[in-house]
Amino acid sequence: MGKSSKDKRDLYYRKAKELGYRARSAFKLLQLNEEFHFLDDLERVVDLCAAPGSWSQVLSRKMFDEAEGDVQGKKIVAVDLQPMSPIDNVTTFQADITHPKTLSRILELFGNEKADFVCSDGAPDVTGLHDLDEYVQQQLIMSALQLTTCVLKPHGNFVAKIFRGRDIDMLYSQLGYLFKSVVCAKPRSSRGTSLEAFIVCLDYQPPANWSPKLDNNVSVEEFFHDCFVGINKLSLGDDSQLPEWHESVRTVAPFISCGGLDSFDSDATYHLDEGDMAKIEKSLDPVQSPTNPPYKRALELKRSGKLSSCV
Amino acid sequence: MKDTFHVGPSLAVKFVAGDQLLCAVGPFLHIYNVTKNRLIHKVRIFKRNKVHGIAVSEDKLAIYGGKSVSLVSWEQLTGANDVSNLEHLSPEWIVSTEFDVTGQNVFLLTCYNMVLVVDFASGDVLQRNSLPNERSILYSGSIKVLDRDHVLVNAGTVMGGIIVWDLHTGTQLWNLLGHEGSIFYVTVSDNGKYVASCSDDRSIRLWDTFTGKELSLAWGHTARIWNLKFFDNDTKLISVSEDCTCRIWSVEHTAEGIELIAADTFEVHLTKNVWGVDVNEEKMIAATSGNDGRIKLIDLKQTTRMADEMEQFDIKAIEIHCNVRFAAGEIIKGFHCFEFGIVALTSGGHVLRYTFADKSWVLLFTDQRFLSYSITNGVTVASHNVVIFSNNNCDLLLVKFTDRGKIVDQGKALKVTGLAKTTNVMCTTGDKAEVIYVTVESPNPRDNFVILAIDSSTLEVIDRFNYGKPDSFVSSCVTVLDHYILVGSRFSTVAIFDLFNCAKNGVYRIDDLNIGDTTTSIEHVETKQCRHLFSVTNRDGYYSFLAIKFDNGISHEVIHSNKTVKGFLERAFYNDEGDYVTYGFKSRLFYMYNESKCYEIMHHMCGGAHRQWGLYPVGVKEYILVYIKASQLHVLRIHKPRVPEFLTAGLHGREIRDLSICPRARATNENEYLFVTGSEDTSIKLNTVDKLTGEVTTFWTERRHISGLQRTRFISDDLLISCSALEELFLWRVDDTFARGPYIHMLQSLPVATLNPDLRIMDFDVKFTASGSFILATVYSDSSIKMWHYDNESNNFNVCVETRYKTCCILNTRLIQFRDHLFLLITATDGHAVIYRVEQDNDDALPNGLAPVVSQRIHQSGVKAVDVKVTESTLTLYTGGDDNGVCVSVFQSVPAPAAGGFPGFELSRSEFAHSIASATVTSCQLFDKGSKLLTTSIDQIVRVWDASDDELPLKLIESQYTTIADTGCCDVVQGDSIVLIGGVGLSTWNM
Ligand SMILES: C[S@@+](CC[C@H](N)C(=O)[O-])C[C@H]1O[C@@H](n2cnc3c(N)ncnc32)[C@H](O)[C@@H]1O
Repeated sequence: MGKSSKDKRDLYYRKAKELGYRARSAFKLLQLNEEFHFLDDLERVVDLCAAPGSWSQVLSRKMFDEAEGDVQGKKIVAVDLQPMSPIDNVTTFQADITHPKTLSRILELFGNEKADFVCSDGAPDVTGLHDLDEYVQQQLIMSALQLTTCVLKPHGNFVAKIFRGRDIDMLYSQLGYLFKSVVCAKPRSSRGTSLEAFIVCLDYQPPANWSPKLDNNVSVEEFFHDCFVGINKLSLGDDSQLPEWHESVRTVAPFISCGGLDSFDSDATYHLDEGDMAKIEKSLDPVQSPTNPPYKRALELKRSGKLSSCV
Repeated sequence: MKDTFHVGPSLAVKFVAGDQLLCAVGPFLHIYNVTKNRLIHKVRIFKRNKVHGIAVSEDKLAIYGGKSVSLVSWEQLTGANDVSNLEHLSPEWIVSTEFDVTGQNVFLLTCYNMVLVVDFASGDVLQRNSLPNERSILYSGSIKVLDRDHVLVNAGTVMGGIIVWDLHTGTQLWNLLGHEGSIFYVTVSDNGKYVASCSDDRSIRLWDTFTGKELSLAWGHTARIWNLKFFDNDTKLISVSEDCTCRIWSVEHTAEGIELIAADTFEVHLTKNVWGVDVNEEKMIAATSGNDGRIKLIDLKQTTRMADEMEQFDIKAIEIHCNVRFAAGEIIKGFHCFEFGIVALTSGGHVLRYTFADKSWVLLFTDQRFLSYSITNGVTVASHNVVIFSNNNCDLLLVKFTDRGKIVDQGKALKVTGLAKTTNVMCTTGDKAEVIYVTVESPNPRDNFVILAIDSSTLEVIDRFNYGKPDSFVSSCVTVLDHYILVGSRFSTVAIFDLFNCAKNGVYRIDDLNIGDTTTSIEHVETKQCRHLFSVTNRDGYYSFLAIKFDNGISHEVIHSNKTVKGFLERAFYNDEGDYVTYGFKSRLFYMYNESKCYEIMHHMCGGAHRQWGLYPVGVKEYILVYIKASQLHVLRIHKPRVPEFLTAGLHGREIRDLSICPRARATNENEYLFVTGSEDTSIKLNTVDKLTGEVTTFWTERRHISGLQRTRFISDDLLISCSALEELFLWRVDDTFARGPYIHMLQSLPVATLNPDLRIMDFDVKFTASGSFILATVYSDSSIKMWHYDNESNNFNVCVETRYKTCCILNTRLIQFRDHLFLLITATDGHAVIYRVEQDNDDALPNGLAPVVSQRIHQSGVKAVDVKVTESTLTLYTGGDDNGVCVSVFQSVPAPAAGGFPGFELSRSEFAHSIASATVTSCQLFDKGSKLLTTSIDQIVRVWDASDDELPLKLIESQYTTIADTGCCDVVQGDSIVLIGGVGLSTWNM
């Protein structure tokens, strides 16, 4: 799919091209970092839902290119449903992060060592059913969190994309149970019109009375069952009956807008002259768009007039 | 606060015995009697969650949505208005429920591929089954109970695989691979032979359950497919999609093996998404439900149910039937259809008649004057059925038929004198049934345009009227009212001929009604207070309503204009339900479309617009379409629908971005208010709300905008403005004086700055000056601010101020009159509110500049919503932000310095309420004379705050959950305590 001229005039898109990032998302991570500095002195990190890979690029630059000391032993693992072209110093593989096997594989890659940072920019296929989309988004976060509890060392940090919707406050209370501080942050590079924001969880404090156990036969929800039992009241009494409906515990996380007012406004229309536009066109490293959407064949058929609204 | 009416996405429909249909509507179930077209029961199922699906076994139901599930009996369901006390929670999101063979147990399939077996009566969880190592997330899945021992679980993964496993043995049968992307639906046929599935790749695949082989791959839908169902003994499959269509596929045994073949397509819902589908196999009716909240019914046998729908004749068959010999290449040149049958004229001058009663063709007579070029017209008045044949030689032949098709007399031949040639002849009758008016047009511009008045019983010419032919006039349709003949022409023109005045000034001409070309129909709708309302259609898809006055010379006013969805528009009329129905062609189809409710009534593959055709009303609500295709005469009977076409009409298919209520109750019904909704789907709808029932009715869907709506607001009792991206801003006038309902017409659009406008107009405000003109302020996504003067005399916008705030996007603006001065407020994505003084040379002069008075950061990021209270000495801003907070800022007025200058404002107090909501606050609205503030936010909580004094912090009076997701806008009928909340759907609330 070609980029419309509107996309080309998006200053973040333009800047991403100039700096060789595969997606404008890179600036979201960078702007979050400006506020929270979680990218300093990292040794081992996991980037979940990483395709096309701009977060991995940021991580790779920070940890390797800009590193002053020894880079031996540093590691970046990136996973996505979609294939990703290689990035220096990043180990990538294609898998579903909600599949427990995927998490086992990441753990294997780390050997016995713990990571100090886990991030997930995951976004599911949005169906348009708001409740389902929100649930699946939260499940991606829970899968990321599942891995986090297995691989993150105490005091480590976790960052994930969220949609600020109806049930987001339930998630805040669960995260607050595992981290010292939980903040909802919106970088200026994330469009104001989208529900997107990021949950920044600082200082991992594994609960004393629960140890994570990854099991291929256990779903994410079951995995956390005992962990959140206290706050979720998921099972009232025993498991032999479905619990009656009850309101879940909700906490509001503080909101922080980051990226500074002098950074570009992703909702604004900027005026670019012809020269600027030409420069964007010519820029060598293209921003990657979804290379192989599942509906590619359908698009081809539609273009050739084989699909239509009539019989 | 209490919600009284709700329209929003409906995710599931299910037929049950006794012609009843269960419809999931948010957290409610609505039960309809389909044959009676009646809502018989509404019951709340869940407290917050939406109902996603329903399984039924005799008198037991298993209803699910999200993690919620409710096992209820039919008696419980119909015996109460609220059964949410029976709501239980599953540990994981439920994708499907099903009863076992005994109906005693319910299977719940969760999105982590686990099946809970629950005892219906006790609610005990008897088993938890899952497939080892397959616990990743599913978007879809289903359970098929084949018999006691065989229960198949079909799990659709996010990576293209469909895992079919046996519930009782816990073993995997197949991992069906072939699809790409997430699987969105999978189902098994009743006989257990086939699995059908669909995914993000937009294909439907049919698999063999016993071998795991892919049998067929079918394409057709242009977007994602959400639901599939086998019916008609597993010989057919029905699918519904994001592309708003519902399609029928037949499972056919061909030489290639078993194949899915596209059989029919129905356009059923508004952009976008059809979620639910079910089929009543006994009656062969399908029901669908969509994001637009509509519950649509489809007669799956619409064109075969009565078996008399289609007749076709080729010229040979007619020849044999009539026992005549036609010349080689002789074809049917024209026809007219009456109740009794069809009268046709061939290129050999043969006049034929087909009677429906005995299905027979006869040759009536032959007339050598009507060889090659001929036109056939017909009209029925007071039981006189008259056909008028004409040629290009000014010959007319009028023939009259009885109700049973017998010729009365042998017809009347006449020659229209004084014309060189005739290119078009048309006829019409008015209220004076005894007269038929015939228009005769010559291609020679110097010839007269002739109108003949003919006595319908004697067929004698009573009168002849000659008019100088109007310039570039090519007649295309005609109608009559009193002594005025209205003739449509090419170039989107209508000419009115006064029969009492044949002089040059007896012709009144309306040009360029729209940008289309040929006027295809003119129809009188109603007359009120000497204003005659006409509906006018244009082949290029436009239609307008004209209010015409005949007293004191003819004058007209366009009170409505719009464009149809697509295709050619041939005519439109009001049906018995008061809905405006259009018909015409789109590509190779003939269509009839309900324009008021926005759905297709029928379509028929006739080959396209370029052919001889006619649509004729017969009987009650029935039509006959006659057309020629591949030199065959086709006769299609369009019966009146055997099932209601819809049970509830629905509203927008996408998010409502803004809504605005007319400040004054309707003149025709004081319990009703007009309101307008603007949506992401790029349309604006003109609706009414009943203040007692909260019920909403839509009249028109305006399609002028080509980008998603940003704002829409009534600026007076009859004017409203809408704006969107691509610099679109339109001024509309609403006319609510006619009995049929309100009309809306675009008066003017704001001039755009460049050839390729790509700025979004984010908000606007107006301040009326004397005599209906006003000052308009517009704010843009590139931080620019403009002020305009709209002059109502000339109907023109002129820009008077252009300036820029910074580079960030401006989100809101308000024009505020404070004592003698006009101020402009803006709020932007940088969290600031800025107040400017509008510079004018004197009080009445146009603005000529903006001088910043105060700039204040009040939110961390985008200030999404604002309302303003003006008191003697202060301005109070109530704002809602992307930072989840509500802020109250009081600005104190600062008098002009003694040395000269202007008064200003400074912030005296402000209070920011953090984390008021857990997500963006999207709208703020003061009501009850500014004593209360209503806020909506994305967390779906509607809150009412005490704003009676400026005391801070704000005190929360009330808060309530709304089922409207993406809650984004609201409006209040001031003084009448009705609130409308918009988002993905619309709710009416009573305060
Ligand atoms: C917004 S993109 C990530 C962009 C990335 N951070 C970057 O900077 O290039 C979201 C990604 O989430 C991935 N995703 C969604 N669901 C997933 C799942 N279940 N497992 C793995 N990846 C998933 C999608 O394939 C998509 O590539």
